[in-house]
Amino acid sequence: MNFFSVQGISLTIGFILILIGLWGILTQRNLIRIIIGFTIFNNGVNLIIVALAYMKGRTAPIIDQVVTRTDAVDKVADPIPQALVLTAIVIGVGVTAVMLSYTLRMYRAKHSLEINVFTESKW
Amino acid sequence: MVTPIHLVSVALGTAFLLGFTKDRNWKISGGLVLLALLLMNLISGSWTYALFFGDQVPVQVFTAGFKPPFSINLQMGRFEAAITLMINFAGLLGAIYLFDRLKKAGRYAFMVYMVFILGLNVAVMTRDLFNLFVFMEITTIATAGLIFLVQTGKAAAAGLKYMIATSIISGVLLIGIIFAYSLVSTLNLDGIIDGGLPLIKGGAMVVFLILIALLLESKPFPANGWGLDVYESAHPGIGAMLSVATGPMIAYVIFKVLPISGGAWNHLIAITGIITFVGSNFLAIKQHNTQRLLGYSSVAQAGILLIAIGLQKELGHTFIYVAAGLLMTNYFAKAGLFWLSGLIKGESLQDWTQLKGRPVLLFLFGLFVFSLAGFPPSPAFFAKWELIMQLASHGGYVWMVFILIGSFFELIYLTRWFGQVIGSKEKSSAQPDLATHRLVPVGIMGVGLLGTMVFFLHHYAPDLAIDFIPIIFIAALFILDFLPAFLKNTVTILAMGWYLLQHISDVQNDTVRLIFFLIFLAGGAISLLAGFSYKGKRIGYYPFVAMTFVGLTGLVTATTTLGFFLSWELMALGSYLLISRGKNAQKTSWIYILFSVGGAYLLLMGFGVSFAVTGDGLLSSLGIAARALPAVGILLTIGFLSKIAAMGLHIWLPGAYAEAEDDATPFIAGIMMNAGIFGLILSLSIIAGHPFTWWLGWLGVITAVGGNILAAFQEDAKKLIAYSSIGIMGYILFALSMNIQMAWMAALYYVVLHFLYKTILFLAVGGVIFRTKTREMYQMGGLIKKMPLSFISVLIGIIALAGIPPLAGFGGKWLFYNAVVMNGWYLQGALVFFSGVVAFLYCFKLISAIFLGQAKDRYRHIKEAPVWYILPQYLLIIGLLIFSVLPELVLQPVAHALRSMPGEGIQWDGHFAQTSFGYWNAFIVMTVIAIMFVILLAWLILNSRKAQKVKQFDMVFAGETPFTPETSHVAYNIYAPFNKALGFLVVPVTTWFWHATASVTDASANHLRKWYNGNGQTYALQMVIYIVMFYLIIRGGF
Repeated sequence: MNFFSVQGISLTIGFILILIGLWGILTQRNLIRIIIGFTIFNNGVNLIIVALAYMKGRTAPIIDQVVTRTDAVDKVADPIPQALVLTAIVIGVGVTAVMLSYTLRMYRAKHSLEINVFTESKW
Repeated sequence: MVTPIHLVSVALGTAFLLGFTKDRNWKISGGLVLLALLLMNLISGSWTYALFFGDQVPVQVFTAGFKPPFSINLQMGRFEAAITLMINFAGLLGAIYLFDRLKKAGRYAFMVYMVFILGLNVAVMTRDLFNLFVFMEITTIATAGLIFLVQTGKAAAAGLKYMIATSIISGVLLIGIIFAYSLVSTLNLDGIIDGGLPLIKGGAMVVFLILIALLLESKPFPANGWGLDVYESAHPGIGAMLSVATGPMIAYVIFKVLPISGGAWNHLIAITGIITFVGSNFLAIKQHNTQRLLGYSSVAQAGILLIAIGLQKELGHTFIYVAAGLLMTNYFAKAGLFWLSGLIKGESLQDWTQLKGRPVLLFLFGLFVFSLAGFPPSPAFFAKWELIMQLASHGGYVWMVFILIGSFFELIYLTRWFGQVIGSKEKSSAQPDLATHRLVPVGIMGVGLLGTMVFFLHHYAPDLAIDFIPIIFIAALFILDFLPAFLKNTVTILAMGWYLLQHISDVQNDTVRLIFFLIFLAGGAISLLAGFSYKGKRIGYYPFVAMTFVGLTGLVTATTTLGFFLSWELMALGSYLLISRGKNAQKTSWIYILFSVGGAYLLLMGFGVSFAVTGDGLLSSLGIAARALPAVGILLTIGFLSKIAAMGLHIWLPGAYAEAEDDATPFIAGIMMNAGIFGLILSLSIIAGHPFTWWLGWLGVITAVGGNILAAFQEDAKKLIAYSSIGIMGYILFALSMNIQMAWMAALYYVVLHFLYKTILFLAVGGVIFRTKTREMYQMGGLIKKMPLSFISVLIGIIALAGIPPLAGFGGKWLFYNAVVMNGWYLQGALVFFSGVVAFLYCFKLISAIFLGQAKDRYRHIKEAPVWYILPQYLLIIGLLIFSVLPELVLQPVAHALRSMPGEGIQWDGHFAQTSFGYWNAFIVMTVIAIMFVILLAWLILNSRKAQKVKQFDMVFAGETPFTPETSHVAYNIYAPFNKALGFLVVPVTTWFWHATASVTDASANHLRKWYNGNGQTYALQMVIYIVMFYLIIRGGF
């Protein structure tokens, strides 16, 4: 795999996004920023999924006038990761929503968004 | 059969349908949910039945009509069926338990609950890796939703921590899955396994990502703070589901995905498991919050399950029983405990005292706790047994040791919790919430656990080779515990008598066994007579008495190591529960059970090593095993030493004997203690002559001297006799350490003798305490005229104890002299005889302090001890007299049994016993002394006709009032000068040592748990570090 190909660049960016996201998750104190870290992290993962499905010179796996049933196998990129990434995005949205709703509840409880305030259960 | 896809359709369909209901129509939404869960139970249940008991074969369901890799396939095999049944059953009961909470939260809460159960089901059944990811995420999000049921900031924070952790996990998992797909072009699990990932370049990394993610999901120590916080903060109903539904799901997912590593990860998983098991149980020691404690315990249980999964190859065909035993114990017990914790008002363990006075709930609580702790016949007991045996036979001794260490930590906090609930003097004033819909699920889990016990007992019946009727008898006593005490006492005594008559022929040919069999059953039945003095129901007494005696009887009749070990543990548990009934027994009973089980674990190791050598579990094979590896005998011996309270391991004994109820002490001290001796005979007979026994001989000497000296300084009558027991155990240990016939004869002679006089003494003193309500001897005094029969008993008891002719104690000394001289252990022998002199001191103290001297005013109208205390004493005295006159009744068969041992025996000629060192005729001695006694008595009576009687209280205190009652009693601190001279011998070094060990353990657990600082971000960092460290370790560096 060529490092400077579309696939190589996408994969690299994907990993960089994951690391940026992780950095945000591990260093930011503000809950909203941490959640943003997670969305960046998820975007990185999703980008990697898409990048892996990339096949040079092929088109989207949608059967229409351009791509017919018979020649789909040779013309389209791998459809499975494409399907997977959609699922992953949906799940990511769900996770973000749940995290945000927790944050809301936490803010109401202590009027703070600092993560180190919420250490009631420990040890 | 209903296709398993309907597990999905029913759950999903119901969740959708709920969208059309209204919150106020909670009856409809709730009814739908319960109906759906019931249906799902029927589906999983019918598959489980058909796959395990019918001829149904596993099936695969393909979605969308394609075959994999183009479609998702679900599998329904034995594992899937059983685990979905566990999930759906817990789901149904959990829904009932949480019903009012879900109802309050509205139809969306019902919906989330259904989705949660759906996610778990599919994650178990699916064979598609991406599908697995999706449904694990669905489960996660649904769990997060359910955490919301508790509306506190604490729960919200825990929920967010949970989301942070699981999001990191799912990111790692997803990357792993997608790379797996790019390498082998399929998402089908079987396809990936066949694809041989480890052989492909980059494949090892993919395996790492997938498995580390799944492993993290199982909350491995120490990267699991997020999981613990959720357990602590979520509703107990949700905690239960996490432990008993999510837990098995994750364990099974790891099990089914593990083959992608081609076996390379098996041991890694097991190592993670053992670290989790030991670490979590260790930190749990410092927990006081119920739910957090249960969380630690759940994590630990997941850990031990991972050990089984990782070592499945080593376990072979036993894997299924190990896994099922561990899984099912945690399933029933943990759900029960979580649900019970929801009934209790308050979060602390102390709040569980609300259960006091509610026998059924206490029974369930005890059932759950002791099952988790691995006491028989819980499934975990069999699972651990099998695990240890198989590990030993694969040379996995290190595994074995760590599993037992982890189990011991578990025992520490579980038994302390239980002891706190039943032993604490303070009772929480709050009332538990006893709503029916919450009680029923707890009860069902209890019944389920009992059913599983029956199943495991049935399965292991051939290995146990024990009689099940006594175990059924215990169960019956639990059920009939509402009957009056005298009835239960009668039934227990009759049952023991019946069993004795029925089974005496089984042991008739083995004199050693016969002696113990008679002591345990006949002696036990006699000592139980004292129980007739108590009125009322005494709930929770007789089932444990029965448990103790069934255990004791089982020891004698067992032929297999498993049967022996089960009996041993039953006895330990039964006696622990009896001791813990004492008023001030909370701490002492706890120490007792820790020492008992600590010793039992050494037995387990010894049996494991034996199994490794011989490959069978027969007691008779122990000798063969010990010849190859003496470690067998040494481990067993050390294990038994804790039961006989050898010096260093004795600190449990005085407290336990003193604090037990007064009619329980006689059979715990006089009868049960012989179990340790029986064990030592077993273990020492297989390593006779080993250099180790020389050290053991010295330990016997130290125990004899130490026990007797300590006894002399006691003020508490029961403690005095208790320490004296330690001394006698020292004699017996010393004798058994000598590999000669005469010494063993002396040991067995002492066994019978000690049983007789120790039971007499404890019964007599128990009767006195029954009347005086105090155990302090200086508060008694002058009771000879009020309690003449008790006085005569104690007098006879101490004459026998001190070895004064004509009673049997003298014979014991005579045998001892012979043995010591024959074996040439002069120094040791001299010390043991010195300790015999010390015995005179405490014998005198016992009788003088209680019965002689001035009577106390408050006991002016005291009566003789109850007849039910006196009767067994005199029955035993008759036995003692017969034994004293005709010792050959015991000694001759014993000599016959020991004939193969080296050394000279006794030559018998009628009543005349002779060795090369001298002769002894017990019959003549008794006759002569009896004649002298009669003559002297007659002379005394004749001479004292004109004597003037001086009544007690015909005196004054010289015009002064003593400050404290003890200073007015001559017996108080009577041996103070000796204490000055010999006090250095009784410095409580052992107590210090064990206290220090306990404090260090406690403090380090307290220190280490600070690792979980409660900050979600720290937990995330810990997980990242865990991943990196794991990677570095398996790759052997950077």
